[in-house]
Amino acid sequence: MQLLLYGVLLTFVVFAALAVAFLRDILSAIIAFAGFSFGVAIVYILLRAPDVALTEAAVGAGVTTVLFLLAIVRTVRPGGDRLFERVAWGPAIIATGLVGVLLTTVRSLPTIGDPNSPVATSEITRYYLENAYPQTDVENVVTAILAAYRGFDTLGEAAVVLAAGLAVLVVLRKEVYV
Amino acid sequence: MSAADGSLSAYVESTIIMTTVRVVSPFVFTFGLFVMFHGAESAGGGFQGGAIVASSIIMLAFAFGIEPTREWLDDSVIRLIVGVGATTFVGIGIGALAFDGAFLEYAAYGISHGVKYGIELVELGIGAIVAGVIVSLFMNLAGGFNHDSGGDDT
Repeated sequence: MQLLLYGVLLTFVVFAALAVAFLRDILSAIIAFAGFSFGVAIVYILLRAPDVALTEAAVGAGVTTVLFLLAIVRTVRPGGDRLFERVAWGPAIIATGLVGVLLTTVRSLPTIGDPNSPVATSEITRYYLENAYPQTDVENVVTAILAAYRGFDTLGEAAVVLAAGLAVLVVLRKEVYV
Repeated sequence: MSAADGSLSAYVESTIIMTTVRVVSPFVFTFGLFVMFHGAESAGGGFQGGAIVASSIIMLAFAFGIEPTREWLDDSVIRLIVGVGATTFVGIGIGALAFDGAFLEYAAYGISHGVKYGIELVELGIGAIVAGVIVSLFMNLAGGFNHDSGGDDT
C-alpha cells in the first residue's frame, strides 16, 4: 500500500517535472511546477519530514508560483498551436547524462528507516534526541536545533532573507533609495 | 476599478474569487500565525509560518487588486514589520550578553523556561522577516511593471 502510494506520487512528480520542461505555454509550465512542488511536499510528509514539507508547500508551491506568475504577466504567448516545446538535443543529452551520473549514487544511500544508517547511529543525533527536550523545553527537536543549538546559523539565514528583500527593494525602487 | 489605472491588465474582478478569498484568507492568516507560534511543539516555525502569513496577504492582492491592497497595507508598514523582526532576533542575541551569557544563550536570562521563550521569540522574529520580505517582494515586483511600463520595452 505504502509502496503503491510512493509509486503514484513519484510518477506524478516525474511527469510534472517533464511537463515543466516541455510545455510550450509558460503559464501551464508554472502551474505544472506548482503541482511538482506539491507532490514533492507530500513525499516529504510520507518520509516523516513535516517541517520540510511545510516549507516546500508554502514556498515552493505557493510563493514561487505567485512570483513567477507576476514575472510572466508582461510576457507574450508564443504563437502557434503546438502544445510542447521542440526538444533541443544538445542540452537534453547533457541533462540525461547528469541524471545518469546522479542516479549511480542512489545505490549507496541507506534504505528508508534503516536503523543502521550513519544518520541514525551518529553520536550527534543521539545527543540531540536525548538532550534537546531537557535543555530547551521544546518538543520539536528540529526547532530546538534550528533556533537554539544552531541559532547563529539561523541568524545568518534570516540575514540572507533580509538582504535579498533589501536588494530587491533597492533595485526595483532605485529612485527612492539611491 | 483598480485595473482602470492600467496597473496590471491581468487583473479581472471576479465575484467568485473575491468571495472565496474573503472567507478563506482569515483562516490562512490564523494558520500561519499558529505555525509560527506553535513551531516549538509541532512541525513548523518562523520560516514556514511567515510564508503562509505572506500568502494570505498575496491572496488578498490577487482577489481585490494589487493597488488597493498596497493602499491598505502601506510599504512603510511592511518595512517596519521586517525591521522589528530583525531587531527582535538580534536583540535577543545581544541581550543575553548583558546577562553574562554568550551571544544567543537564552538560558542566560534566568527566567524559568527561558530557553523556550527565547526560541519562540526568535521564531516570531524570523516569521516577521520572512512574511514582510515576501510581501514586499510581491508588491515591488508588481509595482515594477508600473514604473517601467514606458522604459524597458526591448
